[in-house]
Amino acid sequence: MNWWDDALHRATLEVMLVGALAGLIGVQVVLRRLSFFTLALTHASFPGVVAASIIGVNIYAGGIVAGAVVACAVAALSRARGQNAAAATGVMVSGGFALGAGLVATQSGFSRDLSSFLVGSILTVSPSDLIVTATVLVLVAGVLTVCARPLLFVGFDRTGARAAGYATSRWDLLLLLTIEVVVVTVVPAVGTILALALIVAPAAAARLWSTRLSIVTALAVVFGVISGLGGLWASSQWNVAAGASITLAATGILIVSGVASRLRPLMTAAAT
Amino acid sequence: MLGYAGVSVGYQGRPVLTGVDLTLEAGQRLALVGPNGAGKSTLIKSLLGLVPVLDGTATVLGRAPAEARDQVGYVPQTDALDAGFPVTAAQVVMMGRYRRIGWWRPARGADRQAVRAALDLVGLADRAGKHFGTLSGGQRQRVLLARAIAAEPKLLLLDEPFNGVDVVSQEAILRVLRELTATGTALVLSTHDLTVARDLADIVCLVNGRQWAAGPPATTLTTDNLRLTYGGHAIDLADGRTVLVDP
Repeated sequence: MNWWDDALHRATLEVMLVGALAGLIGVQVVLRRLSFFTLALTHASFPGVVAASIIGVNIYAGGIVAGAVVACAVAALSRARGQNAAAATGVMVSGGFALGAGLVATQSGFSRDLSSFLVGSILTVSPSDLIVTATVLVLVAGVLTVCARPLLFVGFDRTGARAAGYATSRWDLLLLLTIEVVVVTVVPAVGTILALALIVAPAAAARLWSTRLSIVTALAVVFGVISGLGGLWASSQWNVAAGASITLAATGILIVSGVASRLRPLMTAAAT
Repeated sequence: MLGYAGVSVGYQGRPVLTGVDLTLEAGQRLALVGPNGAGKSTLIKSLLGLVPVLDGTATVLGRAPAEARDQVGYVPQTDALDAGFPVTAAQVVMMGRYRRIGWWRPARGADRQAVRAALDLVGLADRAGKHFGTLSGGQRQRVLLARAIAAEPKLLLLDEPFNGVDVVSQEAILRVLRELTATGTALVLSTHDLTVARDLADIVCLVNGRQWAAGPPATTLTTDNLRLTYGGHAIDLADGRTVLVDP
C-alpha cells in the first residue's frame, strides 16, 4: 500500500501545506489591513463554485473566476476617490454568499464537493488536490519573494512609492489576485466560513512576537502549520469537524500570543 | 531645475493653488510658506506629477513633472506612515535604492554602502537595525530624509520636514540640507516656520490658494506680504518683525 493511499496521511500533508500557505499570505493580509477584503473573497468565490458545479466545470476554476471579479472590483473601488470601498466590500460579502445560496437552492441534490466548500473536508483530499496545493504554495512563495521590494515599499509608504515611480495600483492588483488564489486553494480544506481565521490568525499572532518582517513571516508559516496539525489531531482525537478544530487551533495561538505579549513587559519589569 | 509659469494645480479639475510662477537653479533652496490648507503639499505633489497641472507650463529638470521622478527625491510627513509596520531604519533607507537595483535583483555592495552613508549623514548610523516605529518622530523624519538621499536625487522635495520634530533632529536636518545644496542638489520644502524659511531659503514663496509673493526672504517676508497670505493672523511687533498667531 502506498503512503498516499491513507486518507489521514494525505490530510496531514494537506493541512501542513494549507497552513504554510495561509500563514505566508496572511502576513500581507494583516500588514495591508485586507482582512475584510479576504472575507469578501472567501464568500464571493462561493457562487462561482456553485455555478461551476452546476455547469459541470472544475470548481477551482469557478472560484478563481468569481474571486478575480471581486479582486478587480475592490481594486477599482479603492482607486476611485470618494467611493466607500468598505461598504461596497460589505455588500459583496453578503451578496456573494446569497447568490451562492440561491444557486444551490435551484439544485435538487447538494453534492459533496459543494458542501466541502462551506465547512471544508480535509479527510476527502485527493492526491491531485495535494499537487494543486503544493504548486500554489511554490507559486505564491515565488511571487512574494520576487516582488518583495515593491510590495514592501507600497505597503509601507504608498505616496512615497508612487513618488518613486511605482505603479501602486498594479502592485495592489497583483497582491489581491495572489490572495485570491490562496483563498480558493485554502477554502476546500477549512471551508468558506472558516478560512479567514486560518489566514489572519497565524500572521496576527506572529506580528505580536517580532518587528522584523522575515521573522514575522517565518513565525506565521510555523503557526499556520501548527494550527493545521494540531487541529487535525484534535479532530481525530475527539471526533470534531477538522475545519472547525483547525480554525480553533489558529484562534488559540492568537489568544496565547496576545496574552503573552501583554505579560512580557510585566515580567521584564518584575525581573529588573 | 524647476520652471513653473502661471501654473494652477488641483484635483478633479478644481484648482487648489493658482498663479504659481517659480524658477529654481541647481543648489538653490526654496521654501513654500503658508497656513494649513494653503496648497503647499498639493504643489509639492504636482512637482512629482502626482497632482495634475491644470493651467500654465510646468517643467521639472527640463521635462514634464511625472517624467522627472527618477531624479527627484521625496520626503513625506512621518505621521502619514504606519509606525507598526515591521521594517528597520536600514530597510526604509534601502527603499531609496530600489529604483537603481530593480525590483527583483539582489542589492549590491554599492547599495548597502549608500544606505550606510545616508544614515551616517543624518546621524543615525547606530540605529540602522532598529524598528522604524520605535524611533522618535524626529529620528523617523531623518530616516526618511536618508532614504531620499540614498536615491541621489538632483531635486529634493520635503513636505513639512520639521513638524513634530525635536530640536536635535531639526538641527541635524538643517545641517544635512545645507550640505546637500552645497553639492548642487536643489531643494523645495514646505513649512509654516518663518524663522526656518528666513534662515534656510534662497527663495521664499508665500501661498494660500494662490501665490501671493515670491523672491529672496528679505524682500518677500514683509509684513504686507504676510498679511496678504495669512490675513488677520499676522501681527506686527514694535521691532519691525512680524509674528503669526494661530496660523
